[in-house]
Amino acid sequence: MTELETRARDLVRPDRIHGSVYTDPAVFELELERIYREGWVFVAHESEVPEPGDYVTRRIGREPVIVSRGKDGEVHVLANRCAHRGNRLCNAERGNSTTFRCPYHGWTFKNDGALVAVPMRGGYADEFLAKRSELGLAPAPRMDSYRGFVFASLAPEGISLREHLGRATGAIDRLLALSPDGRLDLRAGWMKHHHFSNWKMVIENNVDGYHALFTHQSVYEAVREAKVSHVPSKVEVYVRDLGNGHSEIDYLPEYSRLDEEFVWFGRAPRTKLPRYVEAMEQAHGKEDTHRAFVVGPPHTMIFPNLFLAEMNIMFVEPLAPGETIAYTTPALIPGMDEMNSRMLRRTEGAMGPAGFLIADDGEIGARNQMGLAATRPEWILLARGATTDQTDETGIVNHDKSSETPQRGLWQHWASVLDGE
Amino acid sequence: MTSTETTAVGVDPAILSFIYLEARLADEARYSEWEALWDDDGLYWVPMSPDADPARDLSYIYDNRRRIRSRIAQLNTGARHSQTPPSKLRRLLTNTELLDRDAETVTVGSNFVLYEYRYQMTVWAGRVIHRVRLAETGPRLVAKTVHLVNAGGPVPTLAFLL
Repeated sequence: MTELETRARDLVRPDRIHGSVYTDPAVFELELERIYREGWVFVAHESEVPEPGDYVTRRIGREPVIVSRGKDGEVHVLANRCAHRGNRLCNAERGNSTTFRCPYHGWTFKNDGALVAVPMRGGYADEFLAKRSELGLAPAPRMDSYRGFVFASLAPEGISLREHLGRATGAIDRLLALSPDGRLDLRAGWMKHHHFSNWKMVIENNVDGYHALFTHQSVYEAVREAKVSHVPSKVEVYVRDLGNGHSEIDYLPEYSRLDEEFVWFGRAPRTKLPRYVEAMEQAHGKEDTHRAFVVGPPHTMIFPNLFLAEMNIMFVEPLAPGETIAYTTPALIPGMDEMNSRMLRRTEGAMGPAGFLIADDGEIGARNQMGLAATRPEWILLARGATTDQTDETGIVNHDKSSETPQRGLWQHWASVLDGE
Repeated sequence: MTSTETTAVGVDPAILSFIYLEARLADEARYSEWEALWDDDGLYWVPMSPDADPARDLSYIYDNRRRIRSRIAQLNTGARHSQTPPSKLRRLLTNTELLDRDAETVTVGSNFVLYEYRYQMTVWAGRVIHRVRLAETGPRLVAKTVHLVNAGGPVPTLAFLL
């Protein structure tokens, strides 16, 4: 077990954090253990493995896993490592197979992990073969899902997924309220964007309501105005610490005030989306449909690695203290082609390595990592709005969207997890 | 792209000159001059896999003419941080073959290697397909498709003109 020279709590103060939290290799190793091994981590969406035999391969922290759907229709999260000599068993990103056969010595496993064939079995003692059922692929000690979002933990003990998600389930519900049947389709492909910054920089930037006017100035200047103003005094956009490290930028108050549909979707008129509007009204009724179109999707980071980026889904994979991969795909709505074709083009426009927004976030993140090579001043300031935060039943809220409330929440939780509190 | 047929017909030097010019303008961050090469129905596409279908699959870039204009406008602000200052770029276009031609357009495929220097050297490589319209006023770019060898990712930021 990695040890820090100090407690994580000593690196986090109410309004500031120590710069080493982004750069110290010992911090990174402890995060992999406490957050990515012992905690709940998003691994896949059920729509990625819709049929028995379907699988995708992922990593939880550094560990390769296979997320598969067995013959029984159940989703399995299995170590992607042959139980014999440790070869990485499945080397495709996705596919469909009832079994995985190791190319090294031919050991073969069912897609639920069970060992089904050992070639030249005569070379093994009967006592060994009798225990064959214990030689399956190692399942993730815990896995659970919430409305299609599959999470796993590599520790057998700990809080339940529902406890971990806490208020963040509301963000998933908010997204699914935009689907007529409550389903999504995350099969358009994941952009894998290599960021040269710490994974926490990527996730906290996602809920930073302060940077847009500066980092993304070029978009608003040259391409189009922001959907609503980024000047805090001009909008009723809130930021919120939802607890457990989850946080969000909440456009709901502003959208409700405007009472205008699809502000979050390029202000597309209903007439451009007739089948979608009809399906939504059939499923939810006229009033709730109007409300859903006004309220729009969440802008919510679910600790530690999932970001509901309005109609995009992003998750991050930490590689090293200064390297992260961000995976992004649009949250397509099954069967709603007129929505989905727009969504694909919107995702490409905003997100990923060439996106009008995220390319610049990536650059700023890389420079942030470079800047932190300077060890003075020691502290990074997160004081914005600290005296105007309000606590209510939704969490800790600040009515100034540029407040660093989400970051403060993230770091308080981070310290408690790393210290095992 | 996967055809095994070769053509005895060489690539028209005027087309070669045009794609070399396109490469040089991109390398030298001459954004507006690069944009001026495009015809009104231009499509700049960087897929995530060789057999991608843009109706169904996400791409890194799928810019229609309007979005090409936006991309250039963003770069021209000088505040596109991921290209401020612009990456130092030089690319080699080689193995250029004629893939298709009709009365109006010529399609050529080339391999490329692109060196990007920005904090460190990054090497990009792949196959680029240019579809060029032979207008009376000179060649115009109709479609440029870039199949990166590392399209499967992860890929670092690519905010320059690929």
